Amino acid sequence: MNILITGVGGQGTVTLGDLIAERAMGLGLPVSVYHSRGMAHRGGRVAGEIRIASRPGERLGPRLSPGGADVLVGMEIGETINSLPFLKEDGVALLIDYRYVPSEAALKKEAYPDLEKARELFSRRTPRVFSVVRPPAPVNLFALGCLAALLPGEMDPQGIFNPEGLEDTIRRHLKKNTEGNLEVFRKGYVHGRQG
Amino acid sequence: MSRLLSGNQAIAYAALEEGVALVTGYPGTPSTEALTEIEHLARRGEPSPYVEWSVNEKVAFELAAGAAWAGKRALVTMKMSGANVALDAIIGVAHSGVTGGLVVYVADDPGVEAGMPEQDSRLLAQLCGLPLLDPSDPAAAYRLTRYAFGLSERIGLPVLLRSVTSVAHARAPVDSTMRWRPLDRPAAFSRDISRYTKAGSLICLLQHRENLARLAKAEEAFRADGINTLTAGSVAGPGGFGVIGAGVVNAYLAEALAEREAAGQPVPAGLYLEAVLPLEEGKVRELLHSCRTVTVFEELEPVVEREVRSLATRLGWQGRILGKLDGVLPRVGRYTRREILAGLAALDAPAAAQGAAPWTVAAPEAPLARASTPSSNTPPSVMVKHPITFCAGCPHRGTYLALNRALKALKLPKEEVVVTGDIGCTILGMNAPISSCWTELAMGSSLGLAQGFQRAGLREPLVATIGDSTFFHAGIPALVNAVQHATPLVLIILDNGWTSMTGFQVNPGSDVGFQAAGSRRVSIEAVVRAMGVDFLERLDPFDQPAAIEVMKNAIQAAGVRVVIAQRECALTVARRVKERELYRIDAGICTFCRACLRETGCPALHMTRTGDKEHMAIDEGLCTGCGLCATCCKFDAIHEVEA
Repeated sequence: MNILITGVGGQGTVTLGDLIAERAMGLGLPVSVYHSRGMAHRGGRVAGEIRIASRPGERLGPRLSPGGADVLVGMEIGETINSLPFLKEDGVALLIDYRYVPSEAALKKEAYPDLEKARELFSRRTPRVFSVVRPPAPVNLFALGCLAALLPGEMDPQGIFNPEGLEDTIRRHLKKNTEGNLEVFRKGYVHGRQG
Repeated sequence: MSRLLSGNQAIAYAALEEGVALVTGYPGTPSTEALTEIEHLARRGEPSPYVEWSVNEKVAFELAAGAAWAGKRALVTMKMSGANVALDAIIGVAHSGVTGGLVVYVADDPGVEAGMPEQDSRLLAQLCGLPLLDPSDPAAAYRLTRYAFGLSERIGLPVLLRSVTSVAHARAPVDSTMRWRPLDRPAAFSRDISRYTKAGSLICLLQHRENLARLAKAEEAFRADGINTLTAGSVAGPGGFGVIGAGVVNAYLAEALAEREAAGQPVPAGLYLEAVLPLEEGKVRELLHSCRTVTVFEELEPVVEREVRSLATRLGWQGRILGKLDGVLPRVGRYTRREILAGLAALDAPAAAQGAAPWTVAAPEAPLARASTPSSNTPPSVMVKHPITFCAGCPHRGTYLALNRALKALKLPKEEVVVTGDIGCTILGMNAPISSCWTELAMGSSLGLAQGFQRAGLREPLVATIGDSTFFHAGIPALVNAVQHATPLVLIILDNGWTSMTGFQVNPGSDVGFQAAGSRRVSIEAVVRAMGVDFLERLDPFDQPAAIEVMKNAIQAAGVRVVIAQRECALTVARRVKERELYRIDAGICTFCRACLRETGCPALHMTRTGDKEHMAIDEGLCTGCGLCATCCKFDAIHEVEA
């Protein structure tokens, strides 16, 4: 399974990617995690590429190729749209309604895409488009909860996104505010169940 | 225990387990974390080798070479641009050889994730006469680093350990004790001018011959140690086809070939190189022997491809080699599975059309595009840019604002004043709305370029900007040159006390409290003063009226003028100091003229609406209280508030 997480600095994309990778590693599956985040402090794009092999012993190259992501978690609308070519047709897109408008674009009153625009573009590629408006913080755990509910069984035969399994990973890897994080994760799960 | 480690971390821990005694480097993405990891160990007080961020890559390499000449194991780390800085010294040591294991870690950046020109450092290995290892993933980075130290000692040469961003920054399970295992080895160095000097042609020619002999030993070691893997294809005999992969593409090749096998398609024979240079000719010979067609997969330059073509010619081999030189595969950018599939499709596609055997060769002109990915993978019509900018509270913003304001006050049009920029955060002064910098070339080049522009007769003032770490790295000799030749210019040193862009490493100017125990601080001001410049003043970027005056004085003065703008990096301050001041915009007074945003471009400023009224506002989560926005407001709408 290939998962692409995109956003801008400070949204917790790295933690989200690492939690998924740790969970898969706990199941004995080969994983590769690649975070692009060099310029995150300076307003740049952040992207996490999580690759999980279906069987032990399988080799994985570190990077995703266009059309290679089964799942896209888009945490900032502009970067979500930029990532569209990476999503497989029929892949799962989780769009989070947050916009980080660069000041130059704002000053020039350039149009900056919104959730509706993103939904429209993604719907042309896949029927599996889900969105989240005003999620509680931390958004990354809310998104993880959504994924636990949204991923169909045939996409996740190893049960990587099994909610109990993910809760266990959260307990093990997020030592600060564990209960608060679990609560948001569960809210995300409920949101995901509602579609 | 298996843990998720990045390629850089894997290299660091492998070096520790091999008993490395000295680790040096200069920060540069994507290589930085290899040294950071060991530095953290040292700062936590755990057993660790001597570790330092050196002033530049050449000095870092020289320290490591010194340790290796004394018989100790040493690791030196740098990005590809830094390898160029160190090159002169690297060639010298390659010809002298080493006694202790010396591993030179150079990280290339195919696809340019971090900036600076794409460069294939494998060519430097060929230039210097050094063996080169090129891991395909973090686990291989660990394995090959451990191998590299012993190899270096067996053959008596430094080993270039080259990785790429995709390996250096990827994280995957790696088994490591993550502990330093120091070797019980005394330091010893014997005088041998025929080996350790270059004084005379006899010595140099002898060393060149020895270098070639040691390289031959490296090739023999790769064979004996089974570092490179050769696999048989599903089509046996003289009609077979094969692939050669080098470095990171091996992982993508493995994926693609596993899929082929699962789909029942014929699978090529494969040679997977991780010890890339010198080319292990025996295994290439074996592969060629079983194939009529071979495709070479490697990122960037056709280094392996040229070697294989040359060997094939020497052998009188009659088959066909596909790669970059015939345009089947690209020479620019990073490879992923997509390029592998396209390369394999170039082998398959015409064969299928003609009903011929699957290993029949594609026409050499078959371009990558023909076998490319579906059109739905082209970017959407709406694309968004997030240009990188100075952080909220960055002192460099204040320095450039003061420069822009001084030029305005002196009626010098900004469009006519050439400002040469330099490497690091300070170059963000090229972006709107600051728009000051005109050039960025290499470490320290702002100063040399400004002198060239002056000598060419460009109109003065000529201004160069440079950060503190870059000044120490390569700015000092260039400033000495300007003083010696009395070339008039204004140098602005933006001193934030850290090497920030690569993740806040210390440099010679960092506060002594942040230096490693026992290290000292070198004062930029004292260094510049000692050179005998014509003008030297300091400014505080957040005190705009005074800063503008200093800039005006510098621009109007004659000779070599230096301004040191001093204020610590906002991000390192925020890491230590939790209380901060805040500014707020009075929505009632704000006329929504947007001057604050237009002039500063601060990411904490945004446009909003209260009821019917549009106005500017400050994001309290981002604001650090620098107050620069308030200096732009003619209506006195921006004030400091209690946090």
